[in-house]
Amino acid sequence: MTDSELDFDPEELAMLRQLFRSEAQDALEAVTELVLAAGSARPSREALTEMMRATHTMKGAAGTVGLPVMVDLAHRLENAFAAFGRDPALWTAGTADQLVEVIDTLRGFLDAMTAPGGETQTTGAGDTLRAAIEQLRHPPAADPAATGDATAAGRAHPRAESVSDAVPRPTDAAETVRGVAPAPAEPPPAATADAAPEPASDAPSDAMLVEPKAWLRVEPERVDEVMSSAGELLFDRTRIERRVQLLRTLARDLARTRQTLHDSIADDAAMPAALRNTLLDAEGELAGQAALLSQTTAALLDEIEALRRTIGELQRGLTRIRMESARNLMLHAARTLRALRRATGVKVELRTSGEDTEFDKAVAEQLVDPITQLLRNSVAHGIEPPEERVARGKPAVATIAIRARQDGNSLVLEVSDDGRGIDTAALTRRLVATGRWTTARARLADDADVLEALLDTGVSTRGEADELAGRGVGIGLVRQTVAKLGGEVKIASAAGKGTAFTLRLPLSTALAQAMLFKVDGQVYAVSSVNVPDTTFVDAGATVATVRNDTLPVVRLEQLLGHGAATERRPAIVVTFAGKSLVCTADKIIGAREIVIKPLGPLLAPLTLYAGATISGSGKIQLILDPAQLVRRAYPDGPAALTGPSSAPMMLAGRALVVDDSRAIREAMTSMLGSEGWIVDVAEDGARALQMARHQRYDLVVTDLEMPVLGGFELIARLRGDDRLAATPVVVITSRASPEHRRRARELGVRALVAKPITRRKLLAALAAR
Amino acid sequence: MAELRNVIIVTIGGARYAVELRWVREVVSLGFVTNVPTAPAALGGVCNLHGAILPVLDVGVLLAGVAARPARQGDSALVVEVDAVVCALRVDQVDHVASLPESRGEVMDAAGRPLVLLDPGRLIRRALELVTADAERVA
Repeated sequence: MTDSELDFDPEELAMLRQLFRSEAQDALEAVTELVLAAGSARPSREALTEMMRATHTMKGAAGTVGLPVMVDLAHRLENAFAAFGRDPALWTAGTADQLVEVIDTLRGFLDAMTAPGGETQTTGAGDTLRAAIEQLRHPPAADPAATGDATAAGRAHPRAESVSDAVPRPTDAAETVRGVAPAPAEPPPAATADAAPEPASDAPSDAMLVEPKAWLRVEPERVDEVMSSAGELLFDRTRIERRVQLLRTLARDLARTRQTLHDSIADDAAMPAALRNTLLDAEGELAGQAALLSQTTAALLDEIEALRRTIGELQRGLTRIRMESARNLMLHAARTLRALRRATGVKVELRTSGEDTEFDKAVAEQLVDPITQLLRNSVAHGIEPPEERVARGKPAVATIAIRARQDGNSLVLEVSDDGRGIDTAALTRRLVATGRWTTARARLADDADVLEALLDTGVSTRGEADELAGRGVGIGLVRQTVAKLGGEVKIASAAGKGTAFTLRLPLSTALAQAMLFKVDGQVYAVSSVNVPDTTFVDAGATVATVRNDTLPVVRLEQLLGHGAATERRPAIVVTFAGKSLVCTADKIIGAREIVIKPLGPLLAPLTLYAGATISGSGKIQLILDPAQLVRRAYPDGPAALTGPSSAPMMLAGRALVVDDSRAIREAMTSMLGSEGWIVDVAEDGARALQMARHQRYDLVVTDLEMPVLGGFELIARLRGDDRLAATPVVVITSRASPEHRRRARELGVRALVAKPITRRKLLAALAAR
Repeated sequence: MAELRNVIIVTIGGARYAVELRWVREVVSLGFVTNVPTAPAALGGVCNLHGAILPVLDVGVLLAGVAARPARQGDSALVVEVDAVVCALRVDQVDHVASLPESRGEVMDAAGRPLVLLDPGRLIRRALELVTADAERVA
């Protein structure tokens, strides 16, 4: 079979053969490992089946890339493995060594065969290999006579030594492939090692001797699930870290308290000796406990750091699982170009580099269309006819080059041609003619602006029959697709020299499964992890029953749109931090894979949104934060709901609650405590002031009407003390009159909360600025 | 002699303004504008700009507290960048680029009429204040 009979162009064939070579090398290596794993014993039935599978696949691939000799050899190997399976007696003590040697030789042969022009130069070696494979089933120990004969036959076989005599024997190969019983005792193994053009360069290493490599096929969704859990882990770690930081503050405070106690005991000369000793003992104990707390906290922080590293490794490992090389993409490009060449008759060849560059499978799949589009554009518009090229001093056959490389955290794919380049003047005229640009705009624009406009969809969609219309077709789609993946496209062109498109993409994208739904004409998303179910909600219902649970309903048409729906609506069930709710929608679109984009600093304060994604048509869709939805459904919910993703709030620290009612003190302690605050209490302003002078507080929450020293007096005293002036104060009162509010403002009170206090009011006060 | 400023002259709500070119990254025609329901009126929506999320500010609201019509696809906008914050200022019309003398926050156009020189940094800070205040009110 010659190349012309195959369905490939020479460069594509060369590429396919390189691909075949690496696949076949892997298959043969796997076989070697299986053989070695069995030691001198016969490999298990499973191992033999696996070996047959590997060689069978190799046989099929070899046929596709037009290597009949390899087809024959693989076929014979497969038959040999089948024979070992059928008849255990065929496997003797020497078979394993023999087999490994044959495979090594075959691997060298494979390299030589798939090198340029290698096919015609290696036929002789093929014959000897064929003989060696057949010999496997005829163990020398069992039948010494056969070995002797075979050696003699080998010497009588001139082709085995003479390369010049080597002629392809297509009929021979074809027959054996059809599965006719192979002729017994063909030429011998004696010449095997010498005849092979290159001895296998990589002899089995120690690592290979250990265990056979097992391949695992996993659905991508499963990897994504784990990936998403790893993300959650990161979130949990942040929360733990915050709590531990608080513990550390507490440990420092404890040490300070001990010091105060120590000083007081030392200063008080009048103290009875017995009391002094008791207090000193207690102080000593306190010191020990404070030190222990401090040590434990430090150790905890170290462990959190270790956890952070492990999570990082986990995420990197998972990312690697999703990686694939650029090879498949290049192969696809070669096939596309061949089809284009056939359809148009344009003389062009493809050059590729960087096939080993690895990137996310999801990214690779998405890039197939853009690359096809770019090739199509080059062939249709970029490349001049051969005579024109020659006249310009260029080679008659044009070149399209695809280069892949990694640059930091980006994958860079460059698709360039050596054609005529883009006529920016004509493109400008086109932009003006289609009303896309004003003449004033056109005057201001430079070449880069014009090329940039080409990447906009607008130019292409208005395409009429003129020299540029086709040029723009689909180029906008390239930008859209790449943008959706979080990448960008650059275009460079030089008149008469060619055009280059540079696609810069993230190596892996922040991909997530999300449930998409429509509310008031816009599409929104919630991470699928948080959407276990969908349901329906009746008109006007405030609760819905889902799997025997009664859940609160959040009406998204009210939250995100205008007005209340009167009819029964589809809804999604949202779960976060152990709480579930039901969100109504106009329509549920379904689960999709999305790329999460950050909202940026301007939108970040809008905590309802966790991010955004870009639809296939380039529209932005907002991602709702499940934590915020839960907060809306459970306004008085537990503190766990106000995690890092909640409203900007005062960081928890140490708070002083001042109120003459014990019930209110207790209630406030509980509410603040569940937000992570350490709470001290005082029953009046005087006591509070005294405490504030000994202990730094991050927040003072005070009532107004109290005995001894009232709330406003307390605040005034705090403001009058340099060290305490900056302490944030929140006032709780049953008298929220305008006069009270005015006075509170004057005293720089952070917020004034009317009694009765609810958790929600308190949180709002803490969030206020 | 007043200092010359390289500005782009735009029309917003019937009035003409100048924006210094050094803040302007590009002049675009907005793609599909997605409404951000819980945001204040100063934020006219978000747009896809080369795969990134581009907030569109309503200059009318920021300057005078008067809401113009909502931003929509095809509107002209200046993409400005100040301190790594990128956003779009929706305008009714982009007139032309000029080099004009500045004095006290205004520039004189060729006909000698004064034009207010918009400060994108201040507009962004104002928008951020409004968005933050609104977010807290909602929370």
